[in-house]
Amino acid sequence: MASARAPAPDPGPAERASAVLALGILALRWVALTLMVLMAAITGDLRRPLLAGVAIAVTTAWTLWLTIARPRGTAPVLAADLAVAVGLLLLSGVVVPEGQVGSHPFFASVYPVAAAVFWGAAAGARAGLAAGALLGVSLVAAQLINGIDVLEATTPQLLSLASGALNFVLAGGAVGLVARLLERSAGELRAAAEEAMRAREQAARLSERESLARQIHDSVLQSLAMVHKRARELAGVEAVPAAEVARLAEMAAGQERALRSLILRRPDDAPGGTASLRANLEALARAELPIPLTVSATGPIWLPVRHAEELTAAVRQALDNVVEHASASKVAVFADEDDGAVVVAVRDDGAGFSYDEARLAAADKMGILKSIKGRVEQLDGSVRVETAPGAGTEIELRVPTRSEAG
Amino acid sequence: MSGAGADDQRLRVLVVDDHPVWRDGVRADLDASGRARVVAEARDGGEAIELARETMPDVVLMDLNLPTTRGVDAIRRIVEESPHVKVLVLSASGEEADVLEAVKVGAGGYLLKSATAGELVDAVVRVRAGEPVFSANLAALVLGEFRRMSAAVPNAAEPGLTPRETEVLKLVAKGYTYREIAEKLVISVKTVQNHVQNILTKLQLSKRYELMRYAIQRGLDRA
Repeated sequence: MASARAPAPDPGPAERASAVLALGILALRWVALTLMVLMAAITGDLRRPLLAGVAIAVTTAWTLWLTIARPRGTAPVLAADLAVAVGLLLLSGVVVPEGQVGSHPFFASVYPVAAAVFWGAAAGARAGLAAGALLGVSLVAAQLINGIDVLEATTPQLLSLASGALNFVLAGGAVGLVARLLERSAGELRAAAEEAMRAREQAARLSERESLARQIHDSVLQSLAMVHKRARELAGVEAVPAAEVARLAEMAAGQERALRSLILRRPDDAPGGTASLRANLEALARAELPIPLTVSATGPIWLPVRHAEELTAAVRQALDNVVEHASASKVAVFADEDDGAVVVAVRDDGAGFSYDEARLAAADKMGILKSIKGRVEQLDGSVRVETAPGAGTEIELRVPTRSEAG
Repeated sequence: MSGAGADDQRLRVLVVDDHPVWRDGVRADLDASGRARVVAEARDGGEAIELARETMPDVVLMDLNLPTTRGVDAIRRIVEESPHVKVLVLSASGEEADVLEAVKVGAGGYLLKSATAGELVDAVVRVRAGEPVFSANLAALVLGEFRRMSAAVPNAAEPGLTPRETEVLKLVAKGYTYREIAEKLVISVKTVQNHVQNILTKLQLSKRYELMRYAIQRGLDRA
């Protein structure tokens, strides 16, 4: 059952850590942006200040939007971020004085790291590594544009270039790894919490069932003792009083019903926050009713607790009505769930009546029926009455099953 | 035993129950009715299979809670070996899963042990005549089973219920007798019986499909 009726669990430590990671990346962006502005302002020897200004404006706008909108790392957002980062790197080749890219701190040394990290956090270690690799390649390209002949470079220059490129890859990969670990432990925590909740509910149901069983067993034992004792006594009596035998039979019948309801089926595994309509209706059948009542259902029929209770209360009223007015010899309750609705029918073989709602209402004789309708309509349901004088009565309660879950 | 000769019209019944008191009670009820008589008594499923083979009764009255061989397994064997022998389940607990399983493997009806002598004899006669004995509870159980099956395997080639059969089953579940259903739907009692019989046949067929699917699944898993 994938019904998501259980309340969303509070953010656990893992979720909080993920949020902190996202904030950290944003902070990194702002630090990098500041650094970029400072570099541009202090060094002052940029070859194309106007182009640098445009790049700073675009990066600022992008960072602002990321900060305000806090978008999730969807493919378009990730692509745009990587484009900004690659653009900054390539632009550096043109903006920074010749021979400076990669060997000294330069215009766009740091900001692209945020892109690699963002990829890792949003899409995992592999994506972080890939974005980092692309940035590394862009760094090499930026050096070429910057007039550094990579093939002619000295060993220290090469090492510096390699470590610069590697930084991007490592940052992306490492953060990706951490993000995935966080996600997994969040999932595990949630599963553990759900499992614990299920176990608690199951235990509660079991203990409820156990206490019910204890009660029933006790009353069955008492009745058996009674039947045993009286039957022995009656065996010695000449004229056995029929009324007494009937009373003993009735007592045994009641206990038999109660005990059977325990054995009938294995305990149902209820989804959280729900109750079994069948169980509720069967509890009604255990109450003493002056006419035989059968309860049947096509399944446990799980409903939100309030719906199950309201429906059961409506059925109880219908049964009271039958007992009081119908002079029936038997009554049956049947519950079914189909086509997005739960339908409960209460059917008796009694006197029936001529049903005309308008006339009954006018004569103020709606009585219990009105109350039943009230309960069912509260649940967006409807009531149908099928009866005729001499033909018994069938009251059908139809309530749509909530489909908001899932 | 009087008049157990060839002209004896009474139905021949095999009683399967592990409680002697209960077997005696059934024997007394059937004898008193004059419409059926007990030809053999079995204490467990194994004995039931043997005695059914030997005596070829008209009806087997079967408890489900038996020592050693389970009632359901015994029913399966008896129906396999002698399809013309009818089985009526007579159970005290009425545990749903067992009752449904019993009907799936071939029982023709189900009655609670608290049924009166009249109801018991009536059910024996009806089951013998090929009329399924469905209580309201069993009807609801069967309807629910069809719902679950069609939800689990939608569009399967298996036979689902027709709208008319669903309607009949719902009415049985609401406690209507076949006669009342016939009046309500303006059809003959015989037609109602046919509908119920078809429902039962489809349920038993679905059991066979289920076994087949299981076998195929296992075959595929091994391949």
